[in-house]
Amino acid sequence: MSVKRPVALISLAAATSLAVAACGGPETAAGSDGESTETVTFTWDRNTAGEDEDPQYEETSVEAPVNPETIVAFDIASLDTVGALGGEIAGAPLDNVPDYLADYLAEDAFNAGTLFEADLVAIEAQQPDLILVSGRSSALWEDLNEIAPTVDLSPAGSYLETLERNTTFLGEVLEAEDEAAEAVESLNAQIEDVRAQTAELGTGLGLMVSGGSLSALAASGGTEGGFTYRSGIMYDVFGVEPVIDDIQGATHGEPVSFEFVLEENPDHLFVIDRDQAVGTEDAQAAAEVLDNDIINETAAAQNDRIHYLNPVAWYIVYGGLDTTQVMIDDISAAL
Amino acid sequence: MSTPTTYAPTPVRSARTGVGVVIGAALVLLAVASVFTGVSDVTPASLLRADADSHAQFLLLVSRIPRTVAVLLVGASLGIAGLIMQMMVRNRFVEPSTTGVTEFATLGMLGCIIFAPALPVVGKAGVAAVFGLVGTWVFLQVIKAIPVRQLVLVPLVGIMLGGVVGAFTTFIAYRMDLLQSLGQWAQGSFASVMAGRYELLWLAGAMVVVAWVAADRFSVIGLGEDFATNLGLNYRRVMAVGMVVIAVITATVLATAGIVPFLGLVVPNVVSLIIGDNCRRAIPWVAGLGAVFILACDILARVVRFPYEIPLSVIVGILGAGIFLWLLLRKGSRAH
Repeated sequence: MSVKRPVALISLAAATSLAVAACGGPETAAGSDGESTETVTFTWDRNTAGEDEDPQYEETSVEAPVNPETIVAFDIASLDTVGALGGEIAGAPLDNVPDYLADYLAEDAFNAGTLFEADLVAIEAQQPDLILVSGRSSALWEDLNEIAPTVDLSPAGSYLETLERNTTFLGEVLEAEDEAAEAVESLNAQIEDVRAQTAELGTGLGLMVSGGSLSALAASGGTEGGFTYRSGIMYDVFGVEPVIDDIQGATHGEPVSFEFVLEENPDHLFVIDRDQAVGTEDAQAAAEVLDNDIINETAAAQNDRIHYLNPVAWYIVYGGLDTTQVMIDDISAAL
Repeated sequence: MSTPTTYAPTPVRSARTGVGVVIGAALVLLAVASVFTGVSDVTPASLLRADADSHAQFLLLVSRIPRTVAVLLVGASLGIAGLIMQMMVRNRFVEPSTTGVTEFATLGMLGCIIFAPALPVVGKAGVAAVFGLVGTWVFLQVIKAIPVRQLVLVPLVGIMLGGVVGAFTTFIAYRMDLLQSLGQWAQGSFASVMAGRYELLWLAGAMVVVAWVAADRFSVIGLGEDFATNLGLNYRRVMAVGMVVIAVITATVLATAGIVPFLGLVVPNVVSLIIGDNCRRAIPWVAGLGAVFILACDILARVVRFPYEIPLSVIVGILGAGIFLWLLLRKGSRAH
């Protein structure tokens, strides 16, 4: 079940888009019939130090099988990309898979644990062919790699560089190189469009609202460890001009008061509702927090320019193909 | 003062009055400083200028004064909650955060985040208060069941109880990926306090008044159940009032400002050093000193990383732990 769909899709794609310039790696061969012994090599700098230690990188290479039958994804962004390229995920931390990506799970998908903790027994029982980790789940690499080839798709370089690298790799794995290239191209083009418009948008401030408190999000180009840039995506990728540029690139921004927002008075507020990311679908806890006299005094509120971003996409997933599309749509809606 | 050979004893009462004046003066000074500390330009001068694009007056009314009032209410009421709890348990080392009450209230808060994230703060505080009440009751039952009431054993049991409830809360939050939301709630901070989002604390203020009215009864309670009953006191009713006072204060403070550790422990103990154990006399002192302590901490929290804020609980935790250690280790301490 899990093999047929990508194969069908890929043969269809191969038939219809032969004219598209070939960009697949030399190791991937056309005409695979499901059982393949080919592999794609993925190499990255693996952090061998513990989570809170100074990072120590070691170059690591893993041979990922082409056209794997059973893929387990701890990285939701990779789940997104695999699904968008026509693949199917057999196991994932199911609680963390957002609704808009639920279709990319196999019908009998099993729960592989949480983003931080793998259910090794369940995974072993499924005998996966390939396991995908990144960021939060990187620390699971050693355990998981004993079960099946495990690839760490943690960010390296800018957001878009990582997106392209991961999409290209997963495209090769799924024998969907053309779709991968097209998807990246399409997203890049849309982002260029958006950037052209955000340039005239005025200033913006990213706010994370969580538990009734505000944090100002950083504009940071940094990618060390992969955690810092999610808060900066709206500035770094989409070109929103930050209202202040000296916010520390901390993962969750800097705690600020309502008064701070009024004083800096950005033209646009981009709000990530941390509570809603995991809470009830329609609950807008952040809207309740921000509906107050001080915020209502800001230019953003008075011009109706408080934009609520999809918190799951911006905060939890960020990095997959569909998710990047969600983010583009969110920013476009603000234009 | 003049020479060591002077034998005229300093009247204890006037020394106390002196400390009282110092606390009162510090209260007024810090309150004024608190009103004029912040990101925007709100100074006496800017208030008088009152030009069109200045937000000074607006911010003074909507942000600064509410924040200062909130800080005052939190400081005063938390100190009282600690004092009442110490009377009820007859132990100097308890307060809501060392007896599991805060953890129970936090569990209630988590329930709100999960099941009703859009619930207004009043609702969340109400749920937290009910949980806090249950927590106080559970703690008192557990304490009753302990045969030997050693001084250190009681808070130890409370901390363990809090640990169990806290672990449960953390587990749920972890499974629901809510650890950070919970952390934000629990982290003490007045950064998001403003008009319309602190008024709940007046309830905590009302509890201070209740505590004052019932102060003598709490003093008697502090002598033990048998003694209190012999004096004709309705022991259970007074205990119930005390539980409500503690739960409401804990929950409203948690919902508006988060967890403020140590204050309820340190302040009543310091006051007891100065004026002794009379509950009625102690209440204004505890309220005043609690307010002074937390005002200073909140001003520091706003200034250290200006224009950003650091969590108040960090500062309170460091200072509070220091004072607590001093109380434990100082010469002639009764806590051996």
